[in-house]
Amino acid sequence: MPEPTGGTPIIDCDVHNRFKDGKMTALWPYLPRAYQEDVREWGINIPSVGYPNGGDRGYRGDAWPADGFPGSDLDLMREQLLDAFNVEYAVLLGQELRPLGTLPNADYAAALARAYNDYVIEHWLSVEPRLRGAMLIATQDIPAAVKEVERIGRHPGIVEVLVSNGARLPYGNRYYRPVLEVCEALGLPFALHTGSEGAGINGQPSLAGHGSYYVENRQVRPQGYMTHLTSLIFEGSFESFPKLRVVFVEGGYAWLAPFLWRLDADWKGLRHQTPWVRKPPSEYVWEHVRFASQPLEEPEQPSQLLEIFKWNRADRTLVFSSDYPHWDFDSPTQAFPRLPEDLRRRIFYETAQELYGFTAHAVSPGVSRRPTRSPA
Amino acid sequence: MSAAGKNIIVAATVSGGRGREGGDRAPKGRCVVGRLSEFPPGTRKIVTVGGRSIGVFNIGGQFFALRNQCPHQGAPLCRGRVKGTTIPGKPYEYVYGRDQEIIQCPWHGWEFEITTGRTFFNPHRMRVKTYEVSVEPDGEVDVTLETFEVTTEGEFVILHA
Repeated sequence: MPEPTGGTPIIDCDVHNRFKDGKMTALWPYLPRAYQEDVREWGINIPSVGYPNGGDRGYRGDAWPADGFPGSDLDLMREQLLDAFNVEYAVLLGQELRPLGTLPNADYAAALARAYNDYVIEHWLSVEPRLRGAMLIATQDIPAAVKEVERIGRHPGIVEVLVSNGARLPYGNRYYRPVLEVCEALGLPFALHTGSEGAGINGQPSLAGHGSYYVENRQVRPQGYMTHLTSLIFEGSFESFPKLRVVFVEGGYAWLAPFLWRLDADWKGLRHQTPWVRKPPSEYVWEHVRFASQPLEEPEQPSQLLEIFKWNRADRTLVFSSDYPHWDFDSPTQAFPRLPEDLRRRIFYETAQELYGFTAHAVSPGVSRRPTRSPA
Repeated sequence: MSAAGKNIIVAATVSGGRGREGGDRAPKGRCVVGRLSEFPPGTRKIVTVGGRSIGVFNIGGQFFALRNQCPHQGAPLCRGRVKGTTIPGKPYEYVYGRDQEIIQCPWHGWEFEITTGRTFFNPHRMRVKTYEVSVEPDGEVDVTLETFEVTTEGEFVILHA
């Protein structure tokens, strides 16, 4: 069993809540009537590529509740994650509807996003005070997406706007600009979670198309994140929106510094082509971009990560995530090498607390794990 | 031992271990796991001996015991799926074998041979600790050991842990 974290509260930036049943019946009441008829007949019907996953049908073998899917049972989530590791705040990123950007029908995608956002507030964020939520948007219709952020983004339980790594254009592209603008205006980080690469209407998962196997699909994650990160920097997103924060979830971390060395070097000679990029690309990253840790790279010697953490300025750019209840879950007590205490505190608490504006240490450890501030 | 239906003890003995096991600090112990009649092939039991959780498996009538802690991130390994696996071969060849001899960690899917505790991907360097298991007739068993649902009749399976 996991060892306790010594009473120090932590923040988990990637936790997945699911619907109990595959038909997602709890979502139906939040959909317009016309779509309710459709989903009765066809199901929610979101495209995927068709790879298998890992673990036990994609999840930790011990995370299946007596009935329903992993991530659908709040009591089990409390037992295996929130209580087990003294998680003061956990950010829910959903599951089944996250790939709604793959749908060809923009109106249906936007309706699903609205329905999920209402559902997650009512069924999760209003029930357990340690939970916070990412809201979904349908990038097929940018004005509707902006409207949805304005409608729901001020809810105290909603802490970021979420899209998938798989996309039709890199996220710095002017097509998405109104979304970045409203994120900045409302103080909501713009978050990317791995997934949807090459599915539905999205672009190919890599420049050479689809790999044959799931393990290949997992390796397009950093490729996509490199593309989106470069786009955000060179399209001037952080110059236009100086308070914008971007979070890259589940796409790797060790690649960051060597990649930024390339960007900084290229920028010196090519700066004149994008003169609005006023600083070395790495400086935008230190200030504006955060990375969720799971799945943390596992070098031959765990201590080698400590060197990479220095290159990557992990004290500013890395936030802990477990990915519970997925099979590639990172344990807060086992996944990292032994860290200096101040760095551990930055990664497991402070950077995320600053990023999301959480009330710090709402409750003294050992008195109660529940923060006093309710999101509802 | 043709012991179906008879009462025997499954017992495990813990001795000093390596690595995370803690060498001399590792507790030593021996525990009675249960009656053979309640422990048919294909079943497992998870017991605690000397403060550590150990999984005992009956694989086709033979008993094996593994530490219930994955050497990767400490997951409860022995709660994973018991299965076979695809045997390494030529590209595009899929040969399934070793049925019921492999346990897959419930978290990250690492596969271990139940018979040896070795991983499939690095059998010489990455392994989980194994323990001795014996099947012993009643009368030779010290039932003052940590005992799990044991009667004093017939034969027992002893975990030497």
